[in-house]
Amino acid sequence: MREAKPPPDFPPTPRTRVKRLSDCARYDRETIHAILDAGLLCHVGYVIDGQPYVTPAAYWRQGERVYWHGSSASRMLRRLEEGVPVCFTVALLDGLVLARSGYNSTLNYRSVMALGTARPVEGEAEKLAALEAFSERLTPGRWAELRPVAKQELKATLVLSLKLEEVSAKLCSGPPVDDEADYEDDVWAGVVPLRRAAGPPQADPRLAPGTAAPEYLVAIEID
Amino acid sequence: MREAKPPPPQDFPPTPRTRVKRLGYRACYDRETVYGILDAGLVCHVGYVIDGQPYVTPTAYWREGDRIYWHGSSASRMLRRLKEGVPVCFTVAHLDGLVLARSGFHSSINYRSVMAFGTAEPVTGEAAKLAALEAFSERITPGRWPELRAPTKQEMKATLVMSLKLEEVAAKVREGPPADDEEDYALDLWAGVVPIRRVIDPPQDDPRLKPGVVAPAYLEALEID
Repeated sequence: MREAKPPPDFPPTPRTRVKRLSDCARYDRETIHAILDAGLLCHVGYVIDGQPYVTPAAYWRQGERVYWHGSSASRMLRRLEEGVPVCFTVALLDGLVLARSGYNSTLNYRSVMALGTARPVEGEAEKLAALEAFSERLTPGRWAELRPVAKQELKATLVLSLKLEEVSAKLCSGPPVDDEADYEDDVWAGVVPLRRAAGPPQADPRLAPGTAAPEYLVAIEID
Repeated sequence: MREAKPPPPQDFPPTPRTRVKRLGYRACYDRETVYGILDAGLVCHVGYVIDGQPYVTPTAYWREGDRIYWHGSSASRMLRRLKEGVPVCFTVAHLDGLVLARSGFHSSINYRSVMAFGTAEPVTGEAAKLAALEAFSERITPGRWPELRAPTKQEMKATLVMSLKLEEVAAKVREGPPADDEEDYALDLWAGVVPIRRVIDPPQDDPRLKPGVVAPAYLEALEID
C-alpha cells in the first residue's frame, strides 16, 4: 500500500536519487531533519589518493547544516579542511524483518545520505556556538554547568559542517512483504523491533562526594 | 591515567592506512578484538568511489573466518560498482555510551569500531552463495534457515554477495570513565558514563501470520549491538 509522499524539498540528483526500493525514498526536509535529529553517530566518507575512508563520528544538526568535530590532528578532519567531496551517512536500525523466505527478509531502518563539500567552522564564537549546540543536543542544560572552554582546547578542536543540499532519506518500516504463495507456509514471520536505550548513568569513580546525577541524564534519547 | 597493559598481538600488522594516529592507545590490531567487534554487530558502512565522489552505504554484514560478507540486489549501485574490483573501506561502529567529563573538551563517546581496507569480490557459484546466505541467516536467527523455503533460482540470480578478506584492518575501542584534567576533578559537577545499548523488543507477529504459528525460541536469544 502506498502512502502519498511529501514533496521533495531536496530535489533528487542522479547521485541522490534512490534507485533500489524507491518506495522508501524521501526527499523532504521534515523527514530528513527528523532522522538526523534522532541519531548521534554518522559515517563520513572521503577519498585520499583514490582510497575511500569511512570514519564514524558524532554529529549534530543546526538548521540546514550538519556538524561533526574532532581533533585538529585527525586524518579525516585535516583532509576535509581542504574542501574535498564527502558523503555523510546516518543509518538508524529499527528492526529485523523476518519474512517467509530469506529473499524477502530485510531490515527496517531510517537512513540519510548527504553529498557535498564540508567546510570548517571558522571563528572562535562560531565554533563555541556549534560545540554548545552539540552538548545541548545530548544533555540539555549541561553546557552552562561546564567550565569555559580553554583557548588551547578550542584551538585543538576542529568543527566541520556540511550544508544539506544534495540529500536523500530512506525509510523502511512495517511487516514483511512476502510472495503471495508463501503466506501459506507454517513458518513464523514478523518484525523484531530494535532500538537504542540510554542509562542508567554510571557515576565516575572520582565523583566529588555529594554530587547528584542531574535530571537531564534520564531524558537522553538516541536512536 | 592509563594502566599499562601487555600489548595484544598484532595479527593484522598496521599499515600507513590502518595505523590509528589519533589516540593510538585505543587501537587494536589483534584478531580476537577485531572479530569480537564484528561478530557483535549487524550494520556496516561501506565506502567506495565513483567519479571521484565517495559514497557510504549502510548494509547488513556478517563474518565467516577471515572474511566479511554483505549482500544486496544485483541491481544496486554499490554492488555493481564493487563488482568491478575497486578499493573499499568497510567500517563498523558500535555506540556504547556517552562519556560526560567535567569539561566539554574531555567529554567523549565509548565505542568499538573496526575499519578494513581492500578490494571486495563477489561470491561466485550457487553453492558458495547459498552457504554464505545461510551463514548470514544463522548469525541473526540460528535455526531459522531450515524452516524457510529454499531460495529460487531467480532469487539467487537477483542476489549479489560480496566478500572482503580481513587483511588490512584495525579496531579502535574507547571504554571506561572520563579522563579529566586533574584540577577539574574538584569541580562540583556530575561526571560519568551514560551507557547506551541496543534493545531487542518482543517480536511482532505479521498481521497475516498463519493461525497457530507461534514465535520460535530463537527469537529470544538474538544478540545485536
